[in-house]
Amino acid sequence: MAELGVERADFIGVPVQDLKRADEFYGKTLGLRRNPNSGERWVEYELGNVTLALVSPEAMGPDFEARGHQMPIALRVPDVEEARGKLEAEGVEFLHETVDSGVCHIANFADPDGNTLQLHRRYAPYRDGTLP
Amino acid sequence: MHVEQVDFVSMPTRDYARAVEWYRDVLGLAVSDYASTEIETPNVTLTFWKPEEQGEAFVPNENGIALRVEDVEAAVEEVRAKGAEVIGIQDSGVCHMGFVKDPDGNVLILHRRYAPRG
Repeated sequence: MAELGVERADFIGVPVQDLKRADEFYGKTLGLRRNPNSGERWVEYELGNVTLALVSPEAMGPDFEARGHQMPIALRVPDVEEARGKLEAEGVEFLHETVDSGVCHIANFADPDGNTLQLHRRYAPYRDGTLP
Repeated sequence: MHVEQVDFVSMPTRDYARAVEWYRDVLGLAVSDYASTEIETPNVTLTFWKPEEQGEAFVPNENGIALRVEDVEAAVEEVRAKGAEVIGIQDSGVCHMGFVKDPDGNVLILHRRYAPRG
């Protein structure tokens, strides 16, 4: 490691125009764990290894425009098809058929602001024989 | 639905080699043992993708990934000295945030919370 000394990734910013709608989607539809210390303007979801932070006009000011990031975030689920079925039943639209990359299954969808998310599960072992 | 963790975040780029070198040499992060186009932060993997290869417009990410450093001001000066574009430093009231850009224009936040939670 160089001298900059990055200790960890604290959060990944997710731009949203409508904080309540996004809060509903990440909390209810995706069933993620909301950080209980979230405030009125800054809402965080804890995904085990890293935090997603909803970046909204409430936090950034009324001129903030959420344009939908082009930075797909891969969410590890036990079974991509099963999770996809549950989300589709909630009305979530997927952007394409589930892809089998040869080592993992992956299915892209978007949150209500157009931010790309992926259901992801690696099924092939790594070189050292371990599985994720 | 049970989401276990974030496996990786795909950063848009136009040049894989330039991106990986920058995250390694300027931010001091490790290149993945498994893939030469992936960077490991201590807790989440950053991978790179070329939207234009998949027929999508390239749009840099403006909203930032926050990377925890001990001293934001010192870290900003360090990456500036290594040639990175610096947008500026803000004090949010609970944390310091140093906004910088990678060579593709993706925003990264050199971040340190100083206020207790709650």
